[in-house]
Amino acid sequence: MASAANANMNAVRETMDVLLEISRLLNTGLDMESLSICVRLCEQGINPEALSAVIKELRKASESLKASENCTN
Amino acid sequence: SSSITELLGALCDSSLSGVSWKRRALGGVSRESFHRALKKCAYGALLSKIFQDGTKGPASGPSATANTPPRNKVLMICFDLRVAGCREEAERLEEQLEKLPEESSSSGLKEVDAVLELLVHLAGSAPPPVTSF
Repeated sequence: MASAANANMNAVRETMDVLLEISRLLNTGLDMESLSICVRLCEQGINPEALSAVIKELRKASESLKASENCTN
Repeated sequence: SSSITELLGALCDSSLSGVSWKRRALGGVSRESFHRALKKCAYGALLSKIFQDGTKGPASGPSATANTPPRNKVLMICFDLRVAGCREEAERLEEQLEKLPEESSSSGLKEVDAVLELLVHLAGSAPPPVTSF
């Protein structure tokens, strides 16, 4: 039982490594932390196109915050 | 396993990394209020896309790539990379795609194709990496 869980854990880790490398080659801007959150959201049934829209919106909002921070410096 | 609400909150948190909140707090913008605004923004984007999908009827007609499997979309990107002269990147991408298990039992994940679809949608959305001279 424990060895099956370990094997599954290893499979997930290997798949995540491959997905992260694909993500890097596609220049998606996702780091391991945000990629793993996205994977879990996809596993929960969130539509990937809708999720990409969410990520782009969040980037826009945080970029504008960072830009305003630079202006006040 | 976390709920969708918790995961969206975590996604908002990760997009706020690198923001200095000490200085922001002096200007009246707290991390909590901005986090709330980000969450609202995330739900807005998510819901608008869901409702958009719901109103898409057969009359509007699917786009040429709507039903293309995500693996084929990545292969199309590989082709584009080759045309653009980025042969090494294209080969590396194909190599990684081959490593990706097609069956959920061997990948340990149920929705590998959905994640691949997400990566295709986000392709090129980040600024290009800075090259040092």
